[in-house]
Amino acid sequence: MDPETFRRDLTAWLDANADELTPPYEGAGSMDEQMAHYSHVKRSLYDAGFGRYGWPESVDGLGGSPLLRAIVGEEINLRGLCDPNPWTMIEVLVPTVIEFARTEVAAALVPPFLRGDEMWCQGFSEPDAGSDLASLSCRADKTDGGWLVSGQKIWTSFIQYAQRCVLLTRTGEPNSAHRGITALLVDVDSPGITYSPIETMHGRLDFAEVHYDEVFVPTERLIGEENGGWQVAMDILPYERSTTFWHRGALLHRRLSDLVAQLSDSGDLSDTSAKAIGEVFLSLVAFRSRSRDTQYRLARGQQLGVETSIDKILITSAEQQLFEAVRDLLPGVVEFDGGDHAAMWRTDYLYSRAASIYGGTAEIQRNIVARRLLDLGPES
Amino acid sequence: MSGFIEPEDAGLLASSFAAAMLDAPDPGEADQALYDLGWADLLAASPAQGAAIAFGALGATGSAATLLDDVVVHALGVPVSPSTCVLFDATLYTNPAAPQPGDPRSLMEDNPFVVNGLVSSRVERATTVLIAVDEFEGTAVAAMDAGLLREPEPTGIDPAHAYRHVSVRIPTDAVTPVNAEGNWEDAVTAARMALSYQLTGGARWILTEARQHAIDRVQFGRPVASFQAMRHKLAESLVLIEGAESLGATCLRDPDPMKAALAKSLAGKAALTTANHAQQVLAGMGFTAEHRLHLWLKRMLVLDALYGSYKSLPTEIGRDLLIYGTVPRLIQL
Ligand SMILES: Cc1cc2nc3c(=O)[nH]c(=O)nc-3n(C[C@H](O)[C@H](O)[C@H](O)COP(=O)(O)OP(=O)(O)OC[C@H]3O[C@@H](n4cnc5c(N)ncnc54)[C@H](O)[C@@H]3O)c2cc1C
Repeated sequence: MDPETFRRDLTAWLDANADELTPPYEGAGSMDEQMAHYSHVKRSLYDAGFGRYGWPESVDGLGGSPLLRAIVGEEINLRGLCDPNPWTMIEVLVPTVIEFARTEVAAALVPPFLRGDEMWCQGFSEPDAGSDLASLSCRADKTDGGWLVSGQKIWTSFIQYAQRCVLLTRTGEPNSAHRGITALLVDVDSPGITYSPIETMHGRLDFAEVHYDEVFVPTERLIGEENGGWQVAMDILPYERSTTFWHRGALLHRRLSDLVAQLSDSGDLSDTSAKAIGEVFLSLVAFRSRSRDTQYRLARGQQLGVETSIDKILITSAEQQLFEAVRDLLPGVVEFDGGDHAAMWRTDYLYSRAASIYGGTAEIQRNIVARRLLDLGPES
Repeated sequence: MSGFIEPEDAGLLASSFAAAMLDAPDPGEADQALYDLGWADLLAASPAQGAAIAFGALGATGSAATLLDDVVVHALGVPVSPSTCVLFDATLYTNPAAPQPGDPRSLMEDNPFVVNGLVSSRVERATTVLIAVDEFEGTAVAAMDAGLLREPEPTGIDPAHAYRHVSVRIPTDAVTPVNAEGNWEDAVTAARMALSYQLTGGARWILTEARQHAIDRVQFGRPVASFQAMRHKLAESLVLIEGAESLGATCLRDPDPMKAALAKSLAGKAALTTANHAQQVLAGMGFTAEHRLHLWLKRMLVLDALYGSYKSLPTEIGRDLLIYGTVPRLIQL
């Protein structure tokens, strides 16, 4: 299916079903409301076929280019039909799971995730392993028919809604660094898993601290090779920065349009506003142009790698510049105002602060660019 | 030669252009050498891609060839020649009291005119200067004798490039209308795109120099490239350059005035940020007249200032968005 026809059919379908797809709640909604609506939108897209394109038949997809997935998320985000974050987990985790997990495991577990019936989460970070992910220590020890996992994770987003978790564990010696890590696909309802949600600064329970106490994981849930988990993690990172970023770029485009419309309605043509809007637009266009190139590289089957750190730096600065401009140009809205409208600007403003932290911090991205793209040799 | 240039051919053209530019430090000789290599045909057959190739080479080599004159002349719909130059970045204002860009007064009403704008060093060799004239019906083009705009002493920060500001009163009969099919907006778009390729080409050169210096220069017993403060400056530069190059390529596929303004702006930002970071990495050496950084820095300052700087263009673009009340998608899959 060619992307243009696909987009035309999709937008026609979205327009025809607009009432049914629009969030039933006012403003941002609670997390429970958001998750329920996300599932509903995903299910509707799946049943209409649009949510299955761009995925291989082995996981019940309808095939076609990954560009089609980029287009679905773009149109959904341009219309503000559902929160983009739960959707992110699909684009981040599924391509790697299809490539590295056993075929029958992926075939059984991926479809309900794509359908929006189930949710997955990503258990990478630990209290003592943030940027230095390779120092993680949550252990997986061999046992009859699988592994026993014990240890602690933190910042695991969406675990309270999730059925599965892509977990990085230590299977080598404690100091084996990236050589002794294994990736497992774990059922969240397994005995021995307990978690307590952590409240974020924007007042939500986005992520959690998770304890694993001799959690049994069967052999067939291995992703990649034993002690090959680092390769799995490195494969995931570029996905985190391709399709998902295109989706998020569409969301930023919509929010910039909202800001421009609001200023324009109030007759604001001041130099200050024009300059700030122009600069945000500049950053956003730079990001979207770069990300467009990345979408096409992915579609051509090229291996994405560390160069996607550039996409990450570009989107982070566009996002943070946008919401700083909101605070500057709509004085007092972020700090003082009531109502759903102000609450959404406030939420977006606060959430944008995480953009330079999750998925590898701003500093780590620059380290990668310096080391891997500019080849500057080791740091002192 | 016609239409789309395949990447391989583009690469070959770029290297032969670059070689000619390096062989001929004098701008007049460089212009002639590039004409001999087929620059005029390239511009006629594939104006946008041709400019991308030639201006990328200008940026990388630091050549002072005055090809921007040709880009604007071509976009105005007039045949190019090494003896035709243009008044840049300005239209002819017929009222000396109110020289406002876009002033829609007729060419022939007042006497004398004020000619107010920038010319390149080509004015020293050229016979004709073309001037865009804003009229009610659109853009008209007029020609005048280049001798009238020749200043005794070229001024400015970049003497090799020798752009200079002119503001001269001339009599009405010194100007003759020219039959031209192009228009001012197309000329601005073409100039901004060309400049963006020169700016990113220059930024790449500066980054390469700074990177090499960082690796070679040892302090505290290790290369200064090992210090994170230096690494992050160079990384920031690369990110800006890649973003600007990407938008430059997008412009080539699908040019329009807004994209060209954005590409020019991003490229100016990339080039000047890279020049600033490189200055810090090169430190004392980078402050000398001996190191070539200063040549590129000055060139980048001049190129950024032509047709809207990276600090002024966003205000223009932002104002357009506020007037329309919507934001165009611009980048499509
Ligand atoms: C909203 C949100 C959602 C998240 N969701 C998930 C999730 O679902 N699953 C998951 O596993 N994780 C998740 N994370 C965790 C995220 O990946 C980590 O926060 C991130 O990797 C940084 O780790 P840290 O917070 O421990 O910071 P640290 O690594 O402790 O860093 C502290 C500071 O030191 C700097 N620093 C560290 N090392 C270097 C260095 N070498 N050079 C220069 N500076 C350095 C950092 O840049 C940072 O500024 C989430 C985080 C957020 C904010």
